Amino acid sequence: MLYRVIDADELPALVEAFMRDYEVIASVRSGKSFAFETVHSFDEIVLDYPTTLTSLKKYLLPPRETLFEYDMEDGVTDYVLQVRPRVLFGAHACDINAMNNLDLVFDDKRYPDPYYEAHRRATMIVGIGCIPSDSCFCHLLDSGEVRSGYDLFLADIGGRYLVSIGSVEGANILEAACNPREATDADRRAFREYTRRRQQAFNPDIPSVQEIPMLMDAFHSDDFWEELGSRCLNCTACASVCPTCYCFDICDVLDPNAQTGRRERVWDACTSPQFALVTGGHNFRSGTRERVRHRMYHKLNGFNSKYGRYLCVGCGRCVHACKTDISPIKVLEFFERKGAEDAE
Amino acid sequence: MSETTNIPRVVVIGLASCFGCQINITNIESHLMEVLGQIDVRYWQLTSSDTMPDEFDVAVIEGAATTKEALETLASVRERAKVVITIGACAATAGIPGMAAPEWQDRINDVYGDNTPAIVSDIACKPQAVHDVIKVDYEVPCCPIDPYAFVHVLQKALYGSNEYSRTSTMCGECKRNERGCFYGRGILCMGMITKQGCGARCPNLGRPCNGCAGLSPDANLDAARVVVQHSGVPLKRFNDALAMFNQDDPRIAL
Amino acid sequence: MPSSTSVHVGPLAHDVVAMDGAQMMFENPYRPWEARITSITPLTENEKLFEFRLIDERIRAAFHHEPGQFVEVSIFGVGEAPISISSSPSKGGFIELCVRRMGEFTTRLHQMQCGDIVGLRGPYGRPFPFDDMRGHDVLLVAGGLGIAPLRSLINNIHDERSDFGNVTIIYGSKNPSEVMFRDQFEMWRHRKDFDLYLTVDNPDDTWDGEVGLVTAPFSHLQVDPDNTFGAVCGPPVMYRFVVEEMRKKGIPYDRIYMSFERHMKCGMGKCGHCQVGHQYCCIDGPVFNYWEAKNIQDSM
Repeated sequence: MLYRVIDADELPALVEAFMRDYEVIASVRSGKSFAFETVHSFDEIVLDYPTTLTSLKKYLLPPRETLFEYDMEDGVTDYVLQVRPRVLFGAHACDINAMNNLDLVFDDKRYPDPYYEAHRRATMIVGIGCIPSDSCFCHLLDSGEVRSGYDLFLADIGGRYLVSIGSVEGANILEAACNPREATDADRRAFREYTRRRQQAFNPDIPSVQEIPMLMDAFHSDDFWEELGSRCLNCTACASVCPTCYCFDICDVLDPNAQTGRRERVWDACTSPQFALVTGGHNFRSGTRERVRHRMYHKLNGFNSKYGRYLCVGCGRCVHACKTDISPIKVLEFFERKGAEDAE
Repeated sequence: MSETTNIPRVVVIGLASCFGCQINITNIESHLMEVLGQIDVRYWQLTSSDTMPDEFDVAVIEGAATTKEALETLASVRERAKVVITIGACAATAGIPGMAAPEWQDRINDVYGDNTPAIVSDIACKPQAVHDVIKVDYEVPCCPIDPYAFVHVLQKALYGSNEYSRTSTMCGECKRNERGCFYGRGILCMGMITKQGCGARCPNLGRPCNGCAGLSPDANLDAARVVVQHSGVPLKRFNDALAMFNQDDPRIAL
Repeated sequence: MPSSTSVHVGPLAHDVVAMDGAQMMFENPYRPWEARITSITPLTENEKLFEFRLIDERIRAAFHHEPGQFVEVSIFGVGEAPISISSSPSKGGFIELCVRRMGEFTTRLHQMQCGDIVGLRGPYGRPFPFDDMRGHDVLLVAGGLGIAPLRSLINNIHDERSDFGNVTIIYGSKNPSEVMFRDQFEMWRHRKDFDLYLTVDNPDDTWDGEVGLVTAPFSHLQVDPDNTFGAVCGPPVMYRFVVEEMRKKGIPYDRIYMSFERHMKCGMGKCGHCQVGHQYCCIDGPVFNYWEAKNIQDSM
């Protein structure tokens, strides 16, 4: 990986350079929390945000997206989706890993998704190093660091940034807007100090568990799932805020004239009661136990079986969004308890 | 549908309600004529004092049943209509009229004492949601209805749709709007047990959800009450708020 | 620097770039292609066999399916539904779907007439291993509407009959009136093409077939376990019992195939609706062998 160092006071120039050609998305203050929104000046951006309420997936997979339009007489009619070039500025490692996971699903060779690809190809990503908050557990699910999927990645090493350069486009803009220089020994030491500080900031109360996918299989029938599921409000907030919940529904929407309409895909959630319902009325996951377990299973086992990575990136958003405290952390704690019980 | 014209004949009926949902249908403004062009409106109580015709295909009903006459009307509507659509919370949950449902006879006494006029005791009945009286094919929820939700449901009834009706509760939609939670500020909100579908409109305008879409069939009241208690909102306020729109639902009994 | 990107979906007439049908389908896998209903055959009170022809010749030429695969059918304005293909790939140019009137979508499809237009996209899904089955005996078990996907396999085997050993079909229905394609099957039995066991739960006066569950004929079935492929399709409750009977006959785990029914909404391993355990029925299935099925949490 190629890396350079820029001074902190060069950052506004970098953002302004992006603003000339791109819509710039960054974290801004929103009530008591933070949100990713379009920004128009560097000053709006909060660089050291802990986490945002929802994720960046909305920029690659909009909550509601038209697939095509049709006429009741003639079938499919002309439809063009135009995507504006964007830069997602200040994405954390977990969120970039999340988008890399989405790539595995939507940018696959067999059925590349043209809408997702259009968004993804028009999007540049500038990552930024973070200091984890109490609900962060990315490091336990191999998402604490990110090695690809970004154009630039900034690490704050005190008054200056160590910039990892991931693409030619990223390098071009960096060179045009700033004066990137070679790192010195002092910069490298500062970077190591930063990684150490970050490492030590993770919440030690969230247990590190080995063989999570195997444990998900082994404890599939445990009463724990009944207890966890019994608390579920069926609200699907977990999926709304999750950076890697990509499930969607496909439905037709008629215009008021009933002559024309469009087919849309809308975010859906496996924690929604009707998600596994089939025509005829059978529901393959009719209870909260099955639904909550399935969601965790896909995050911590199912996706691994297919793609070799955890789908959950440990961003902790569901920890805050779930009012009844259902989250992967509870699953890790359960596995930890099981080990302790055996040891007794 | 109608044998001669093939255009579905529609009647719009108002029971105990403010008629606001009927008015709201007209709020689709520029699309109103497009929608009216697809149906043959034979009767609209809001706009006419005429009597209802005998034959029609689709009945749209606003309001709760609060009189014996209303019960008869509903029975006869169900007999004649191929499709019954209710609009608004009063029809779907007994709504505001439903707040009088518990000990409703005592309330007549509270007003009239020993001198209850015969006409009152003869006509009144317990306020009920329409689906508690007759089979309802489609419901457009909320107080008042979203006019586009009405068009969507009407078209579903006329042309069919394989879209399934979701029973998840509202917080998921609220989070899509990127809203923080009222409970974090100690404010009562009914979103976590209320049927989704409105797009969490009120929370998105900064007001907590009052539950006008009605309790979701999959609402988890036990878990919700634990959330309320932990948030510092008095449980009584939550239970009182539940009574506002859900008198048709036995689950609100404590 | 990246410029803006776009996705264009056009009607048939607007495809100015010379593309073959496969490219056109690949270009946007969510776009259904217009197809005309060319024949409707009532099968039972609730089931009809629809024949569709894709209107664009390039698409029609590019469309190739295998037994066990499904298509996504669009009725514009109503929505889309996954339906398994009932016709054999050995007969090209048309696609047959056997549809039970069950929900809103299938009710509207049943109301449609010859000449009406729907949308089709696909085919999707992992099929039955037809080529692996060649040279072997085949034991096929269908329950109810499970005959719909299995008929594609049955017809395909019939069209290439000399490539197969003994072929046994067990087909169970609730009532005699619900038995589909009976004339065709009886004819093939008569010609000794297949061993056929038709069985119903509730016989009437006219019924001369077997009575009882689809597992009943297993008691007098001669199976060569080293040379037999099994295939099962039917309601979820049926699988466990049928595959166990096949196991008892000694058919290996990985030669017993079954087709799972889930609501495949996208058909491309994305939307998540057909997920069972870690697998997607639409791309990893709907046909799984018993060994794979055993390794899927909550599959049976």
